[in-house]
Amino acid sequence: MSTASDTRVRTKAVRGKAQRGASAGQPGKTRRSGRERQPWLPWVFLAPTIVGMGIFTVLPIIASVALAFFRWDIISAPSFVGFDNFAEVVQDPTVRVSFLNTILFVVVAVALQLGLALGLAIMVQEKLPAWLRVFFRSAFFFPLILSAASVSIFMRYLFNEQFGVVNWLLSLVGIPAVPWLTTPGGSAAVVILVYVWQNFGFSFLLFIGGLASIPVETYEAASLDGATGWRKHVHVTLPLLSPTTLVASVMAIINALQVFDQPFVLTRGGPGDSTRTAVMVIFESAFQRLEFGQASAIGVILTLIIMAITAAQFRLSKRFVFYQ
Amino acid sequence: MTTTITRPAAERVVHRRKRDWSVAGRIVLLSLAAVLVLGPVLWTLSTSLRPPAESFQLPPSFLPLNPDFVSYGQVFKQLNIVALVINSALVTGLIAVGQMITAALAGYAFANLKFRGRGALFSIVLATMMVPAQVTIVPVFMLIRGVGLSDTLMALILPAIPTAFGTFLMRQYFMGLPADLAEAAAIDGASPWRTFRSVYAPLAMPGLSIVGILAFNFHWNEFFRPLIMTISEQNFTLPLGLVSLQGNLGTGSISVVLAGVVLSMIPALVVFMFGQRALRDGLTAGTGK
Amino acid sequence: MQGSTGKLREISRRTALGALGAGIVGTTVASWPRLTGTDIPGRGDNSLSIAIMGTAADAAARQKVVDAFAKVHPDIKVKVQAIQAVDWKDFFTKILTMVAAGTPPDVVYVATEGAQLFAEKLAHPLDEYLRRDAAHMKEYFEDVHPSLVEAFMYKGSLFQLPIDWNAANMYYNTKALQQAGLERPADDWNHLDFRNTLAAMRKARPTDFTPYYWTNRLFGGVVPWLYANDTSFLKETKSSGGRWLWDSFYANDPTRGMRSGGYQWLEPNANDPKVFESFDFLRGLVKDGLGVRPEEGGGNSLVGLFASNRIGTTPAGGYWVQGLSEAGMKQDDYDVQFFPRWRTQRHQFGTAGYAIMKTAKDKDAAWEWVKFSSSLEAMQIVFPTPNTTPARRSMVNEQLYAGKGPRHWKVFYDTLDRFPSTGPIPAPPQQAAVETALMKNVSLAVSGDERQLKSALDSLQRDLEFALRRQP
Repeated sequence: MSTASDTRVRTKAVRGKAQRGASAGQPGKTRRSGRERQPWLPWVFLAPTIVGMGIFTVLPIIASVALAFFRWDIISAPSFVGFDNFAEVVQDPTVRVSFLNTILFVVVAVALQLGLALGLAIMVQEKLPAWLRVFFRSAFFFPLILSAASVSIFMRYLFNEQFGVVNWLLSLVGIPAVPWLTTPGGSAAVVILVYVWQNFGFSFLLFIGGLASIPVETYEAASLDGATGWRKHVHVTLPLLSPTTLVASVMAIINALQVFDQPFVLTRGGPGDSTRTAVMVIFESAFQRLEFGQASAIGVILTLIIMAITAAQFRLSKRFVFYQ
Repeated sequence: MTTTITRPAAERVVHRRKRDWSVAGRIVLLSLAAVLVLGPVLWTLSTSLRPPAESFQLPPSFLPLNPDFVSYGQVFKQLNIVALVINSALVTGLIAVGQMITAALAGYAFANLKFRGRGALFSIVLATMMVPAQVTIVPVFMLIRGVGLSDTLMALILPAIPTAFGTFLMRQYFMGLPADLAEAAAIDGASPWRTFRSVYAPLAMPGLSIVGILAFNFHWNEFFRPLIMTISEQNFTLPLGLVSLQGNLGTGSISVVLAGVVLSMIPALVVFMFGQRALRDGLTAGTGK
Repeated sequence: MQGSTGKLREISRRTALGALGAGIVGTTVASWPRLTGTDIPGRGDNSLSIAIMGTAADAAARQKVVDAFAKVHPDIKVKVQAIQAVDWKDFFTKILTMVAAGTPPDVVYVATEGAQLFAEKLAHPLDEYLRRDAAHMKEYFEDVHPSLVEAFMYKGSLFQLPIDWNAANMYYNTKALQQAGLERPADDWNHLDFRNTLAAMRKARPTDFTPYYWTNRLFGGVVPWLYANDTSFLKETKSSGGRWLWDSFYANDPTRGMRSGGYQWLEPNANDPKVFESFDFLRGLVKDGLGVRPEEGGGNSLVGLFASNRIGTTPAGGYWVQGLSEAGMKQDDYDVQFFPRWRTQRHQFGTAGYAIMKTAKDKDAAWEWVKFSSSLEAMQIVFPTPNTTPARRSMVNEQLYAGKGPRHWKVFYDTLDRFPSTGPIPAPPQQAAVETALMKNVSLAVSGDERQLKSALDSLQRDLEFALRRQP
């Protein structure tokens, strides 16, 4: 809260200065806003981003969509095949399974990620000694600074069926060795756990920010009305937090739909196709089967799905999100 | 800071005891979570300090009693760490700075400047986040090859400078600043550029810190783009270099691999520690009123 | 509160920002050569570019070979590029990327996994050069077993000269064997003897120990068992041709008659009853706790686990010796034996050698490199430690394994000499898709009941059919 008021103090000072500075200088200039005189100005601000995106993102996307109608193995010239790639890809059982896996993964992983992040954020933001609060915030953010590949490397050792630490810990409470990376269910569980472990810190930070912006007075008023503990959170915190929740969930879902690093390093998609995700199939089609046209076709389908899901979220948000 | 209605003394004591219990309870839960979160990292650290034959000792020891730094020496012997770090630092640093600049400019434009098509353009910018890198990598690769930047660090830096997420963050941040700032400046005849330069830019630091730190984080650890875009080993970034520690057919020593992992954590950790305060400020100030 | 201190802050902030800006611009300018890669030696010039799979640690050895080559061919400039990759699939992805970038290497070190893909689409046959320099090459072929050479024949032409190779033999932990009350297994032990050995090991060490540890990969996973049982998951045929090579270089070799113009794997064979048999054997091992359910991929943990006496047996080749030694394992702690016999004792191997790219501008110079690297001198420089098995029989000797290797290191090359039907792992041009299909189904096949095995093999058959449907 002190940091928010810091900014408030600073903005007050700047505002005062701007007032004084502006009125002290600029003699003779008219007092119209600069907007009408410089309609091209916004574009100057936007130029680096828009031009850069245009070249490095939009153009490649268009090229990729075009490529989806060709067959190309990077060594020889591309050949036009119309909608063949799309037809083949939609019928390919591996592609179907991968998309299903991805949807399932998103549902479970994002629910876990957001639930964990929210719960921990609420607990951390309530009364705690300041040093403990700093410690916990740093601890939960820590996994984010590691690379997904490094994480997957040491997680493979920890989840080893025979000799891993996780199974040893479970054995201490009497649970027999779980076949983590050697069965479809176990592998899926490991990928989800590792992904959530690494990424929840980001949602956690977003929630911390959101919680910090709820003024204490609101809680005081609520407790006067008799809402305490659990009920306070359901009726006061959650609704006020809904804009943040929307941002956090949109980001979490968009990222989860594109998950690649963890399953790639942990399990390479196996056993079977149990941990093969949509993006992995794109990568494999392109770089292992040398079917760049098909890879682009899968990419187009995936992007459309991501857009549809995001649009749906925003539509839903009109019902569930309360802005102040 | 808060105003409380005084309650009878007995009630206050009961309330305080309940509060103490719930604080203790929360601390226990949070500590459990922290152990689960930091445990694997500690294991990695302690295993890197032990010879490979002891790596799978159960019960695992998290605090090595006889730390053996030989694996770290091996990492330096097997990899040209200095070159890898320089490459990673150059790439990540320039991307972070580039993103901060472009995001500040674009975020301000979307937040405070009115122009036709603003909404639509912003949606398009956001939409680019929904296209996986694996889809666009080959056309980008061909593009880079076309301008003769194949297999260079520039090939990694340039495409990453425009940032949809950074723009989004800065727009949120600028929108969260008091509206009367702009009004005050406008009334006094300051041009939009002047407004930006003198009023908003100085205030943007917390938001920019987030953009910079997140950009640093993501690109320091990035694996996929460098894998495809760089070819000569002189251009490798740290994550790529670490892969080679796994050895031919996976025969590399586990202690050495983990030592490499620990070493690569250090710069990110340093940035993280310095950026902690800025991160906190940025997040709480940006969404505040 | 504002006023002068405000202005001071403004000025100091300005200077700070200015300094920062100058710093950034300065860094960019100063590191421009690094950013645009112009500081990389040999870029854009006409030197011969050689792509190998390696780590920076090989740099010293590589430089020595380059220097030695320069002495013999001072007019040919050479640039060696080490490509980092965890396995051969990733390596070939990189090579393809380079081809796409318009900067393909001239010579590439290719392993069995990619040999046929390269032979089919990217590589230039060595035939004319071999014919031309036959006298010089005679010595090489006398020192290299024909099985290795045949692995690099494709449709009648030779595309690489084998430089290193590895078979899947059986490594065992001597202590575990002793504790089980057993002696070193006989050379012709069979799969049932093997099973009994595992059971005895398990009885002696019921916990914190695995009698048979294996990983799910194309090399050394299921394939050795398939080969031993005289079958494979792909139908193996041989193409005609190549007689010119066998007649000129292996005229006195007793196995000359069975040599061909190269292997072909055109159709899946997963529904063969012998395949079912082999898989079922492994399934039984897993079910009875004698063998692990396999993990996908290479398994970095394997060396560490074996070195810490937690594994009884595992399939591996000569490439393991250096890794085990570095992990602290002593010579007498382990040993190696032929893979157990079943219907035959056919082993599987992988090998690697240099291929000349079709896109190479100066193929004659490329051949000079290929020829030089196959010489005894060059190979001795490149293989100072036993982190693989050299293709030359004369180099697999006491010296190489002194102080590090298993007592019975002779097993490594004897695998070829004693069992001449030993062949390369199945690697058609569609190798990446084939390996993915195999790995996908192996886990399911060995970790359930017979019904699950049957359905996994059916699924494998279908996946392989899909992978092989487009013949190049």
